[in-house]
Amino acid sequence: MEKARSPKNIFVQGPISSEKIAQSIANHATKTDIGGHSIFLGQIRADEKPEGKVIAIEYTCYEEMALEKAFEIREDVFAKYPLTCMHIYHSLGEIKVGEICLFVFTSSKHRKAAMQACDELVERIKAELPIWGKEILDSSATQWKVNT
Amino acid sequence: MPDRIRLKAFGMLAEKIGADSLEIENPGSSEVLRLQLLQQFPALQSLTFRMAVDRKLIQAETDISAGQEIALLPPFSGG
Repeated sequence: MEKARSPKNIFVQGPISSEKIAQSIANHATKTDIGGHSIFLGQIRADEKPEGKVIAIEYTCYEEMALEKAFEIREDVFAKYPLTCMHIYHSLGEIKVGEICLFVFTSSKHRKAAMQACDELVERIKAELPIWGKEILDSSATQWKVNT
Repeated sequence: MPDRIRLKAFGMLAEKIGADSLEIENPGSSEVLRLQLLQQFPALQSLTFRMAVDRKLIQAETDISAGQEIALLPPFSGG
């Protein structure tokens, strides 16, 4: 039976730990109609810039708008693909190189829906959520991240 | 009710404006507001930004009423 969904908080203060990811996978063991999960993890990359090397990204957001938009995206993707579950987590605050800042997790009876939905979610999160990353460089300069 | 609006600025725009929240007199429309901001904060002239009215991105010139929340949004860079 479908349950009514309401906006959920997607934001996590600080990096997303591998324990949280492992726990999230484990939480699905009882949902035995699932046949495939798809997971995307965004990791902070040590980009080399003319002004220095990226050592961290500090994320801020327009929280009320981001949560409304994330809910709209969730509903669209649930309507488009036969998913059992969908989870989205995005970090706020300073996330160091090598740490995880985005965790998108979709589950379905069959792999294709989970994989396509996960891909679409990641693209829409990056394009449509009012979130900003400020890159902190090893020269202690900062610059605003640009999504490609 | 006084004809005022709440302005929020994010990311690079908050840095250029020097504040992340301002209360200003209602300019009446998004385009008038944009021109007013560019004049008041010349540093914004070289930047790309969009606006949201009550947390909805606007696509064209939009009327603004008293009490609404207007946000100035630089290009998104989440993920």
